[in-house]
Amino acid sequence: MEIRIFQWLVPALALSFLMSHLLRYYRGRIDLRETVSGILLWLGVSALAIFPDAISNAFAQVLGFKSNTNAILFLAVSLLFYFQYRLYHIQVRQRRQLTQLTRALALQEFLEKEKS
Amino acid sequence: MSDELLLTVILPAYNEAKVIGGVIDEIQSTLPCRIVVVDDGSSDNTIEYVREKGVMVIRHLLNRGAGASCMTGISLARENNWQQVAFLDADGQHVATDLLVLQACMKETEADLVIGSRFMHAENRIPRIRRIFNAMANILTNTFCKHHYSDTQSGFRLLNRRAIEAIDLYQDDFSYCSEMIIQAEQADLKISECPIFVRYTEYSMSKGQDFQVGVMTAFHFLWKLIFK
Repeated sequence: MEIRIFQWLVPALALSFLMSHLLRYYRGRIDLRETVSGILLWLGVSALAIFPDAISNAFAQVLGFKSNTNAILFLAVSLLFYFQYRLYHIQVRQRRQLTQLTRALALQEFLEKEKS
Repeated sequence: MSDELLLTVILPAYNEAKVIGGVIDEIQSTLPCRIVVVDDGSSDNTIEYVREKGVMVIRHLLNRGAGASCMTGISLARENNWQQVAFLDADGQHVATDLLVLQACMKETEADLVIGSRFMHAENRIPRIRRIFNAMANILTNTFCKHHYSDTQSGFRLLNRRAIEAIDLYQDDFSYCSEMIIQAEQADLKISECPIFVRYTEYSMSKGQDFQVGVMTAFHFLWKLIFK
């Protein structure tokens, strides 16, 4: 079997990310859920890089796509939508926190002025 | 009248230096009240004009939007145990004498929240584009309400102590108008509407919502309802 560059490059990169995830977990920077989801993601990416045809064909068969390319495109677009949703959710949360902080500072300043 | 019972008029303001002085003068000459300006991180000299008038100012260090300013006003009212709070737009489109109309309506209907409706006043000449935006916003908001409201986007409102305690706005932008009505209904508050007069000037038309802001407002409103 011919081994193409991405078949060792992607798993090597994935392995480094995986190790970094484990290290961050042991240092207490991320929780177990984050660690497990990170490990699963990088294992999945590695598996797809090592066995691209087998996995994409199996995926296409399960979802009923005629070609594995369509299945990969579908997967990629779905993931993009998911990450877009996650990013927007994070943005909303941060906006909220910024507003709460701004309000707390405004009220504090106002009440201090009223007292003095 | 005790200090807590005095009506508090809250003016959320963002870059309103041109008109805020006139708005404050008009309110002061209409009725005895406490005026609080929520300066929403203005980059012009709004705050200096307001301080010259000797009214209370609470200042956001950053611009957070009309909804965020409104909620800051409500938080301040809670903190100070103020019993009645009115919100007016600081761009001069509202007429201060309508405060008396809202107060009379609250008394008469025993409402907790009174909304000043631009569309109930026959003499108002509302620009067509504003009518269209408001009609769309009304349809969207009324879909999630038990009752029907003629002006869900009006910034002219009067809240009593029950409403001040019950309403906790999440939306920072103009969608707070719809959110306030929905929250009031959920808290079983009584809501009334009464006609108000509005002045649409070139200045006031340059403020408020346009199409892009309207679309984003609707998006934020729906997002919050779906993913709360």
